Amino acid sequence: MSIPSLLALATAALALTGAAAAAQTRTTYPLTIENCGQSVTFTRAPQNAVALGQNSAEIMLLLGLQDRMAASAFWPNSVLPELAEANAQVEVLTVEFPTLEAVLSRQPDFVAAMLTTLMGPDSTVANRSDFEELGIPTYLAPSACATTLDAGDAYGSRSELWGMDLLYKEIEDLARIFDVADRGEALIADFRAREAALREQFSDNEDLTFLFWFSSPSPADDAYLGGGNGPSGYIADLLGGSNAIRTEADWPALGWEGIMAADPTVIVAAQVDRNRWDLDTAANKIEFLTSDPTISQMEAVRNGRIVVMSGAAMNPSIRTLYGAEQVAEQLQALDLR
Amino acid sequence: MSSDTSGDGAARLVLFLGLSLVTLILAVAAATAIGDYNIALRTVFLSVTNELGLTGAEIAPIEQSVIWNLRLSRALVAALAGAGLAICGAILQALLRNALAEPFVLGVSAGASTGAVCVIVLGIGAGSLSLSLGAFAGAFAAFALVALLSNGATSGPNHTILAGVAASQLFNALTSYIVTTSGNAQQARDVMFWLLGSFGGVRWPDFQLLLGVVLVSLAICILMARSLDAFTFGDEDAAALGVPVVRIRLVLFGVTALLTATIVSMVGAIGFVGLVVPHAARYVVGPMHMRLLPACAMVGAVFMVIADIASRMIATQQTVPIGVVTALVGVPFFAIILYRARPQA
Amino acid sequence: MSIVAENLTWGVKRRMIVQDVSLSVAPGETLGLIGPNGSGKSSLLRLLAGLRRPASGRVEINGQNIAQVSRKALSRQVAFVQQSAATDTNVTVADVVRLGRTPHRSALAGWSEADEAAVTQALGRVEMASRRKQAWQTLSGGERQRVHIARALAQAPQVMFLDEPTNHLDIHHQIEILRMVRELDLTSVIALHDLNLAAMFCDRIVVLEGGAVRACGTPGAVLTPELLRQVFRVTAHVSWSPDSDRPHIRFSGEKAQAPG
Repeated sequence: MSIPSLLALATAALALTGAAAAAQTRTTYPLTIENCGQSVTFTRAPQNAVALGQNSAEIMLLLGLQDRMAASAFWPNSVLPELAEANAQVEVLTVEFPTLEAVLSRQPDFVAAMLTTLMGPDSTVANRSDFEELGIPTYLAPSACATTLDAGDAYGSRSELWGMDLLYKEIEDLARIFDVADRGEALIADFRAREAALREQFSDNEDLTFLFWFSSPSPADDAYLGGGNGPSGYIADLLGGSNAIRTEADWPALGWEGIMAADPTVIVAAQVDRNRWDLDTAANKIEFLTSDPTISQMEAVRNGRIVVMSGAAMNPSIRTLYGAEQVAEQLQALDLR
Repeated sequence: MSSDTSGDGAARLVLFLGLSLVTLILAVAAATAIGDYNIALRTVFLSVTNELGLTGAEIAPIEQSVIWNLRLSRALVAALAGAGLAICGAILQALLRNALAEPFVLGVSAGASTGAVCVIVLGIGAGSLSLSLGAFAGAFAAFALVALLSNGATSGPNHTILAGVAASQLFNALTSYIVTTSGNAQQARDVMFWLLGSFGGVRWPDFQLLLGVVLVSLAICILMARSLDAFTFGDEDAAALGVPVVRIRLVLFGVTALLTATIVSMVGAIGFVGLVVPHAARYVVGPMHMRLLPACAMVGAVFMVIADIASRMIATQQTVPIGVVTALVGVPFFAIILYRARPQA
Repeated sequence: MSIVAENLTWGVKRRMIVQDVSLSVAPGETLGLIGPNGSGKSSLLRLLAGLRRPASGRVEINGQNIAQVSRKALSRQVAFVQQSAATDTNVTVADVVRLGRTPHRSALAGWSEADEAAVTQALGRVEMASRRKQAWQTLSGGERQRVHIARALAQAPQVMFLDEPTNHLDIHHQIEILRMVRELDLTSVIALHDLNLAAMFCDRIVVLEGGAVRACGTPGAVLTPELLRQVFRVTAHVSWSPDSDRPHIRFSGEKAQAPG
């Protein structure tokens, strides 16, 4: 064979392998996905998606899909700052529960939901069949499905530590649906790397405990805390420690006496943006902790081991990892003996 | 304003029922035409005539679905729920001889919340039971407890109401316990939001079920309307007039329980309708139940459809619990009833 | 219609309230039931009317054991007027009297001419015909009692039981009502507090003490100073007015002397 033809062959072969490699990450339609006990089929990549729920919306934005999103709804917290610009391009129907008609009026060709309260058999907004009957495929976050195998997973209290696995599944599924599998892979790889980095940076420390304070109606009332095995416990675990509160309930309420008895090494004060209670803001929390005569005697407070974290991280979502990183940054400046 | 079948009273009743029916039809029509999805009136009209087979116009499937599956079924369920709650209110006000009685005074919504959290938070039924079924069971359990404590609602009105308070407290405590020790905050919010009441989740199968329950209940109540009148001066008086007191109480209490539990399981707890509508209806057609019950059904239906439309217009694109609207109307009304019932100096 | 009671006993929990009471009432007779508080008048009345089941014993009305008659059938013959029955409902006089037709109407039957006639007649008898449309809540105590009696009359009964129908009424109304009841062509049994009224209007009187029959007979025979002292613990003087054959009791304010 002559060299030019060899070269041509080689280039062709290379191109083919390249194409084959690329083809592996390209979605072939029709695509059928098993999602929460239902088979959903997509004939093409959605162009006009509606995201019901902050986490679903933020995942789509992280995948760079803002120009393929028609609208979003239900935002219990403010958007991740780095996504603010992208989010501004997508209409927000309401930060509360939307109406089905409002969703339909945006002519969606795909609806993804974060919770069964937003889309499910008991929802006051919509069922999956409402969309399916109109030929609109739907997707429910795996973290929201009622699992039949292990009851401790989504509903009921957690007996095992929460993890990012179901979120990774969601990212993977959504990436495939939108034919951006490569971005999905990259995102998951990025998250995994960041998880690993945190674990490496913070070796296991038996004495290190964290208290995650979400908010309180008033200083005298019981405080709402992040419970044992939920996202708060996961963050603590990532950072080499454990949750000072061991109960399995996700949102235990505890009086300050109990909190002092738990004697956490670090107090994580959540910044909650909803403006319902004075103690929602991290600043007010810190002020209270440092000025109250009894509580300021806690070891964590005396040694200035108070860190701030976005309240969104205490809900099981991608924000949890960002929250862990936010805490990690502040931990480095602290003296942790 | 008096006898149930004599003279001008009858004409007045027929006129009132006729007007209410017309208003109801108009309200349902309005409900089909109003919503977040902008659909031209002409399209709405054609959609209905299409379904009736009178026309064959081309309508986008999404619009057809919104008009027919969402708006119309919702409006009709609202009408039935309003009628049902109003009837239950009238029955309980007669049985308990208390102008402030309504279905939810007997701990029904508390029971429903406990049933709902049992299914959702505790995972009872392992995912095969729906929140609706849990709420139904819970609501019925509350009624059963009250019936037990008050000896089948025969131990006297005050005693029965106290039993209702006890049931309320018990079930509320149970709900709190389950939610705080087992669940996560999201689930608790889910159940509580659901319980506030909304017609957003209803579809045609709900209409069919509720239609059956309401019709049967109304039929039974009308058959017992005369007996119910005999309770005007108390149980003993009713017995002296030949009414089988215990049987009537049990049957009517049971019917009220079934109807209320069905409604709560479908749309959550919607207060004030059962309290306020019987008073309004009494004002127009008088206290005799042969007239009062149909009037309650009509007024309750109209009230609920209009309240539902209002709840959809208060905040566009957002689901507002209908209890907000019924409370906005109900509370001033409630205050007026209390004021007029105050002991005269 | 005659009423015959044989060996009636009834009690609540372990307390016997009516103890082995037997009595009979002749057709058309007006029988008075008197006795101190707690003597069992109200309970006995209810046993006779079939509103309570005796623990033992039987009541026969016109020869038929009432325990074997259905409630509804019984209420077509027997009417019961309570002490000041009250309601909060905004009913009219006519509404209340029409309730009296309940035993005669089936669940869905319309209002018949017989019903209307009974109501009109009843209202006429109590002289409330012109007030049919008046609201119940605006009536005086005496007027309300008359309407209750009209309701009982609308039942077209043969027997009427009245539980202290004259409590809280003006003397004018007390006399008016009792006169009306006596003039009715019915067998009636009236529980009364006022001994003189019982003497004035009853054909015979039964005196109850501690749930048992203490005395039974015409007012003259029963209302003796002895009995009054023993049962009612009052000192009284019984006299006879010249224009009637009924006794009149004059109470003394002095302390009752111990029995002889």
